[in-house]
Amino acid sequence: MLSRMLLDSLGRRLSRKALSVLAVWIGLTLVLALLSLSVDVGDKMNLELRSFGANITVEPLASAIPVQVGGHRLAPQTVPSYFDEAELPKLKAITFFWRNNILGVAPRLRASGLVKGQVVPLVGVWFDVPITTGSEPLVTGARQVYSHWSVQGAWPTRADQCLVGSAVARKLALSPGDTLTLVAGRGEVALSVAGVVTSGDGDDGAVIAPLSTVQGLVGAPGKVSSADVSALTTPENKLAEKYRQDPRSLTPDEYDRWYCTPYPGAVAKQVQDLIPGSAARVVRRVSETQGMVFSRTKGLMALLAAVTLVVCGLSVTGILAAAVLERRPEMALLQAIGARRADVLVLFLAEMAILGVAGGVLAAFTGPLLGRWLVSVVFGSTADVHLAVVLIAPFLGLGLAWAGGFWPVWKAVNQDAAQVLHGG
Amino acid sequence: MTAHAISVQGVSKIYPGGVHALDGVSIDVRPGEWVAIMGPSGSGKTTLLSILNGLDKPTSGRIQVLGTDTHGFGPDDWAVFRRENIGLVFQQFHLIPYLTAVENVMLAQYYHSMPVREQALAALERVQLAGRGHHLPSQLSGGEQQRVCIARALINDPKIVLADEPTGNLDEENEARVLELFRALHGEGKTLVVVTHDPEIGCAGERIISLSHGKVSKDSATAAGARLATVGGPPGSSGDPCATSAHA
Repeated sequence: MLSRMLLDSLGRRLSRKALSVLAVWIGLTLVLALLSLSVDVGDKMNLELRSFGANITVEPLASAIPVQVGGHRLAPQTVPSYFDEAELPKLKAITFFWRNNILGVAPRLRASGLVKGQVVPLVGVWFDVPITTGSEPLVTGARQVYSHWSVQGAWPTRADQCLVGSAVARKLALSPGDTLTLVAGRGEVALSVAGVVTSGDGDDGAVIAPLSTVQGLVGAPGKVSSADVSALTTPENKLAEKYRQDPRSLTPDEYDRWYCTPYPGAVAKQVQDLIPGSAARVVRRVSETQGMVFSRTKGLMALLAAVTLVVCGLSVTGILAAAVLERRPEMALLQAIGARRADVLVLFLAEMAILGVAGGVLAAFTGPLLGRWLVSVVFGSTADVHLAVVLIAPFLGLGLAWAGGFWPVWKAVNQDAAQVLHGG
Repeated sequence: MTAHAISVQGVSKIYPGGVHALDGVSIDVRPGEWVAIMGPSGSGKTTLLSILNGLDKPTSGRIQVLGTDTHGFGPDDWAVFRRENIGLVFQQFHLIPYLTAVENVMLAQYYHSMPVREQALAALERVQLAGRGHHLPSQLSGGEQQRVCIARALINDPKIVLADEPTGNLDEENEARVLELFRALHGEGKTLVVVTHDPEIGCAGERIISLSHGKVSKDSATAAGARLATVGGPPGSSGDPCATSAHA
């Protein structure tokens, strides 16, 4: 009888039913699109935030020993130490657990040289070097890792080209196209200035040349002083914080969970384990900024989704309240012939559930599509359709219809039935 | 042993704004009695019926129905009590528009126990609507809709039938049919309380209770009631109100 009443009732006043479904459909489409976006926003934001620079620095273990005088780190200056450049491709090797999270590597060999009789810091870096080891080839170097560098001119493409920092360029009156003679270590080399770089940090005062060129000049073939690594990481939480403060405080289960989550610290730890004689540390400022922006963006998405859900719920409430108002005599009659309030409530909530689920099922198709479109517009890339978002849609529709419809129905079942039946 | 089918003691109903719809009404209705409640518009007769069926609550006073003190009944208690004991007939019929005639009757069965189509069809046959069971209310005349309403009121075999202006929207022919049905119910020993403006309907019963300004202004036996009174005792004050008003 109940199912018959439901079916017959659904077949009547189709325009109002369609309006209810439409309200749930449109509202949930927006909510699901925002949910899809918030699921994707982590990876997409991380990729975007690579412009903040590397978030892990790898150094030789010896130079990482904290030798400080008056607050200044002296170890790198007092004990020149290196590790092998050949170790770096291991970061993309199939055997490395976080290989897919490594987005870029920029090794550095620091030295100093003479240009026009002036002592200048000399930095050897990779420019567009392909790493061929591993399953996914990666072209990487300063250009990819330091995407915040502003280069006037062009990036070096040959071993006899270099970049000069903006401060050096001003000091030595160098500009793109000029040739400089660099004296360093046991030799000298003529380099063409491909571009002038503004980095906003110490590199503005340096000459930046291809790594192999600098290695040859200073007599350290195959060696690097450090490497900046850009890795896709997840924002730190309490577990990561706990490890950071005292690694020994973690239980074995917690340690396993920490180790298998791409926290900056966990990735750095495994990078360090991978490269013999190295010490990897998290560039806290960058990873914290990434985490903060990521968290805030995700929070904004969640807030938008919640606001949309509330607005949608209010519109559904309005539509259902009007529908319930029309059917007050029917509800009063059911009570008059013996239905308890709960019986009437069940009948009407069941009807609303069908409408809500219908709207949810429609939104399960359109929501993720809208989400994909938003991702393509905002981030300029494609996004997957997330099964969880699709599966949750009918339940959200159900919840929305009930949340929107419960109050009007509850008010109606507690109405003055006698007055309603007499046309009041 | 229940002395009264319905016992109303000092019932008042004051609506918000201070309107006294009922003012200390006390009446008793014997089991199997057919009582008409009459009076001008605004006299409180519909309010009284709504209080008797539990769809409205009195401001003060006590009501016993079939020996049950309904004081403290909530809406759900009344719903359960109604479906077990009371059949309601409405002036506006109040049929569910998207259910057929037989489904409207089965609806009362559904909330009482279990819907049985054959029983519902038999109830329709009893009100001379055999073959009309599959019609929607919109496909039935007013008289037919009222008879579906009566079939629905009777399907659970209630002891009491409360009717509010049952012929108010009917033509003479259908009014006669409804009256005939009420006579049959009375013959079966159902307690009937009928609110009506229609003297013919009122005088068909045993007793007429007249309300005026929310008070019982007259409570008298009709000719039929007087005949019964010679056997079982007078239900109200003497004097047949139908002697002068039946064709007024």
